[in-house]
Amino acid sequence: MKQEESEILKRLGKDPGFKIPENYFEDFQARMMEMLPEVEITEVDAKPSMWVRVRPYLYMAAMFAGVWCMMHVFSHFNQNISAEQRVSEVASGMYMDNNADEFIMSGGASDYDIMSYEDSVLMDTDEHLND
Amino acid sequence: MASRSTYDEAAVVERLHHQDTARAAFGEVIAHYSSTLYWQIRRMVIDHDDANDVLQNTFLKAWTSIDNFRGDAKLSTWLYKIAINESITFINKKKAQNNISLDDDDSFLVNTLESDRWFDGDQAQVLLQQAIATLPEKQRLVFNMRYYDDMKYEDMSQVLGTSTGALKASYHHAIKKIEAFFEEHD
Repeated sequence: MKQEESEILKRLGKDPGFKIPENYFEDFQARMMEMLPEVEITEVDAKPSMWVRVRPYLYMAAMFAGVWCMMHVFSHFNQNISAEQRVSEVASGMYMDNNADEFIMSGGASDYDIMSYEDSVLMDTDEHLND
Repeated sequence: MASRSTYDEAAVVERLHHQDTARAAFGEVIAHYSSTLYWQIRRMVIDHDDANDVLQNTFLKAWTSIDNFRGDAKLSTWLYKIAINESITFINKKKAQNNISLDDDDSFLVNTLESDRWFDGDQAQVLLQQAIATLPEKQRLVFNMRYYDDMKYEDMSQVLGTSTGALKASYHHAIKKIEAFFEEHD
């Protein structure tokens, strides 16, 4: 602050030379109070209602319940999908087996092809049995 | 009415928002802030009677819009803003009455200062008031708040809605202009 002030301002000081009537502020307050019109104040409820206080906790509980429901539904949906997938896989395996039998019976495969196919079926069966 | 030493702003603001206590609480606000606001207004409008009118308008406006004050800002900041707006409105009205352009400076306010019965300053103080009156409105406000009231730039920033950096620059420019005015007229 001191650095900001100029020599001229230091010389003049901070009294601008303004004066006021005696007891001006005391009289002003009294006059001002008489001048104030009636106003309607909108009361601010200092104590929040029960609903306002409980609301955040209810929202949080609802959120957790929602997440739990979604996880439950998702898990159930996954189980259904797995079962359907297994049925589908088995069905497609049977279809492939039937096709292979038809292909062999029609003589479309060589002896080497038939032996390779039987070996692979045997290996698959062994793996399933070991599991 | 409460004296300045027993004034509890938080309690007063709380009471201002209840119908049965608002008027008495506002009485305490008047008692606490009338002097500070008066001097801020007086330095803007110069004449005592004009300052008295503007101060009355300031408190009337504050009282009739007390519902709009929700305590987000300090009460002093809110009152300062009203006082500044009322002062500027008053000066503009006076300019219109005297056929002075709104773009002209406010030095016409100082023309009758020497004959004012509520002024007992010397020629140098008249010159200083003339110099201050030639400043642009915002620089004038900044100069008055800083030089006479020792107000912090952070508080000024709240009232005037300007950054502290800009306020410091404004104060610096104001001093340079006042010095230049004195060099020209001294």
